[in-house]
Amino acid sequence: MSLEDIKAGLEQTFPFLQGAVSVPRPRRIFVDVGPAHTAEVMEHVVLRLGFSSLSAITGLDEGATFGVIYHVNTPQGDVLSLKTHLERTSPAVKTVTGYFPSADIYERELTDLLGIQVKGLAPGHRYPLPDSWPAGEYPLRKGWKAVC
Amino acid sequence: MHDLRDLHDVKVPFGPQHPALKEPESFLISLRGEKITSMSVRLGYNHRGIEKACEERTYVQDVYLLERICGICSHSHSTCFVQAVEEIAGLRVPERALYIRSLIGELERIHSHLLWLGVAGHEVGFDTLLMYAWRDREVVMDILVKLTGNRVNYGINTIGGVRRDITADQIQEVLEAVRALEEKTKYYIQVATEEVTFVKRMSGVGVLLPEDAVRLGAVGPTARASGVDRDIRRDDPYAAYARIPFKVPTSTHNDVYGRAVVRLSELMESYQMIRKILKDLPEGPLTVRAPRKVPAGESLSRYEAPRGEDVHYVKSNGTEKPERVKVRAPTLANIQAVSRMLEDRYLADLPIVIAAIDPCFSCTDRLIGVKQEARRKKDTMSWEEVRVSGIRWYRERGIDFSSLNKELERWLG
Amino acid sequence: MNALFQIIIFPGFLFLFVFGLAAEFLDRKFYARLQNRVGPPWFQPLADFIKLVGKEEVITETADVAVFRVAPLFALATTVTAIFYIPLWHEKALLSFEGDIIVVLYLLTIPSLTYFLGGWYSRSIFSMIGAVRSLTQLFAYEVPLFLSVLAAALLANTWSLSKMTHFYAVHPWLWVCNAIGFLVALIALLGKLEKVPFDIPEAETEMVAGSFTEYGGRLLAFFRMALDIEMVVGASLLAAVFLPWGLGLTFLPGFLLYLLKTVLIIGFISLSRAVFARLRLDQMLGFCWKYLAPLAFLQVLLNLTLKGFLVR
Repeated sequence: MSLEDIKAGLEQTFPFLQGAVSVPRPRRIFVDVGPAHTAEVMEHVVLRLGFSSLSAITGLDEGATFGVIYHVNTPQGDVLSLKTHLERTSPAVKTVTGYFPSADIYERELTDLLGIQVKGLAPGHRYPLPDSWPAGEYPLRKGWKAVC
Repeated sequence: MHDLRDLHDVKVPFGPQHPALKEPESFLISLRGEKITSMSVRLGYNHRGIEKACEERTYVQDVYLLERICGICSHSHSTCFVQAVEEIAGLRVPERALYIRSLIGELERIHSHLLWLGVAGHEVGFDTLLMYAWRDREVVMDILVKLTGNRVNYGINTIGGVRRDITADQIQEVLEAVRALEEKTKYYIQVATEEVTFVKRMSGVGVLLPEDAVRLGAVGPTARASGVDRDIRRDDPYAAYARIPFKVPTSTHNDVYGRAVVRLSELMESYQMIRKILKDLPEGPLTVRAPRKVPAGESLSRYEAPRGEDVHYVKSNGTEKPERVKVRAPTLANIQAVSRMLEDRYLADLPIVIAAIDPCFSCTDRLIGVKQEARRKKDTMSWEEVRVSGIRWYRERGIDFSSLNKELERWLG
Repeated sequence: MNALFQIIIFPGFLFLFVFGLAAEFLDRKFYARLQNRVGPPWFQPLADFIKLVGKEEVITETADVAVFRVAPLFALATTVTAIFYIPLWHEKALLSFEGDIIVVLYLLTIPSLTYFLGGWYSRSIFSMIGAVRSLTQLFAYEVPLFLSVLAAALLANTWSLSKMTHFYAVHPWLWVCNAIGFLVALIALLGKLEKVPFDIPEAETEMVAGSFTEYGGRLLAFFRMALDIEMVVGASLLAAVFLPWGLGLTFLPGFLLYLLKTVLIIGFISLSRAVFARLRLDQMLGFCWKYLAPLAFLQVLLNLTLKGFLVR
């Protein structure tokens, strides 16, 4: 299945994705989805379209909102970046460790560096900041400046 | 304190500082006799704030900064980053530059795998292999110095191409070195597959079944040794790899032995690839002009580093500094499989199992705590101030060395 | 006066001190050359010793101070004592009585026990695990070692080392019959000296330095000295039991022959250090009980049969 087919299929299955899917180059597809529909699109992409492994999760500070991008890939080398946006006040996402047990560490990184809460994550060590790191300091937020 | 009864369930801190680990990272294991019953991994000791720092520097500066994420896979990170930026800026990188990138990439793979072989030998007490492998690694290091001017952190990449050309003389030198290394590697393959004690320490150790490898997201040689046939160079070709034929070695041993075999076979493939690259090296310019300001956009770049899939996500905002740079190094993907590999294994297996994923914790972490409440008054401290502030720091936490000193004097006097 | 000279100078402490350092140097140099390295200069072991002796003595708060301090001295003392009962370049040892084989073997077991005690009473997790490992390993290599030495004694029909060498001097070439035992004893000696592939108790990448993790300064220097001397004494014992030829020579050639024999055995230790990887504890135990101990039994049976022929 080519990425153009996947794009057409996605837009057909999820009408709200009209214009939110782009294929900038071979083997790359970007999907922009609102927080309300993230879970269902994720399930479709992972279970039915064969994007079965996770490369990384990127957190973004977009000014008005926070962005979270799930980079999932197929064994054939296609990468789908599923992007969602969160409210700036008390940002939170649901964990994807159900699909990818390895997502654990990337989600902890979201919590530590951007202050995005991840719901449903098993308890564990924080990552990557030290245990003595002051609460409420999120280094990857745009307003945060390193002072030394 | 521990008495005999406690030995039934002993907690052993493996790190943050431990002779088996070349970089700080903490593995807290519970032991029952010699058996590992549970293990908890704490990462983050090497966090240096590189992702944040990238946002505060220009693209060209970032190339050099990202190259310093790691000393071993430096070319992987810089190539991965420039590929992403070139994609956003819509640059067509000259063919010759792509070939040179692949060449340096394969040389880097050779030096990284030889380094790994030595470390694996050392972890199981086979120091002779360490000495031999690292001696021969110098051959490829010398070649890298001649081609790029540096042993690690080659600085050969720039946005839009490469910075140094390769002369005909250098091609001859590389070919000679490759011939010599190929002979040595054949010998190492023999050692690794025939030396009884070495094989005994590797086979059946650190088993990662194919389904676990996929589920836990293992990448690179770690995954390929579990029969997962994935290689970014073939599946998602970059640089010149689409034009170079090569095999992707896999193994179905699923253990440390399989990982060693895969890495050694990859070495043999790399020699073959380097010959092909040098034979086909096209003529032409080395760079295209790159704009100082990169138009707004985003891109995801993947690179098969010696340790596995390296992922960079770059988002630009039309200025000369990137909006966001995200780095996912291969070790972060592999480290999560380690706990699985060590389930019900012996303490003695721990060093070699950790070493077998070829961990690179500098890549993994990327940032250190730069505390915001740090004193703003001064950026530098004199030696005396450091001493005083150190004493104060400990005193605030209830540790007073002056009383200890007095006690010590009383003891001695 | 003579006794004092023998204890302190020759072949007692001073001789063993010098020979131990020389043996360490030979071991390290040969090992380095095998690994394509330059290796240390000849005075390196002595320099290390002096440096360690001059260093501050640090004892951890939780350690049992008495045992912690006494263990290295005990190790040193027992290894030095053992040499008096071993015939070196002459048929007769300095001291001997019927049953001294047992005494020597036990004296050579005590250092391993002191490594255990020193490590255990350091009360640090790495040294405790190292200590338990050296004790576990002890049970694996001692049996084959004892059996192979006793097999040689059986053939000679004596419990005294001096009488044993005398027997082999009277019956030349009979020592060749003990070849299996010699091989077993050599391998068991590797376990006793904690050398690769049996350096499990002090596996650096697992247990930092095993029993010796908390040791430093003078006490570590004594332990290391004891290890060096143990290597020399172990090699001397094997030379006396399994290579009992050329003992009727005069002092100088005899002494040189003795040095040659021990250096050969030390060379074998270095060689095995260079060509093997460290085994795991379970693999080591399996190897010792499945192969070494049966081989030693085979030697015992062989010697019992041979003895039947000899007596007739």
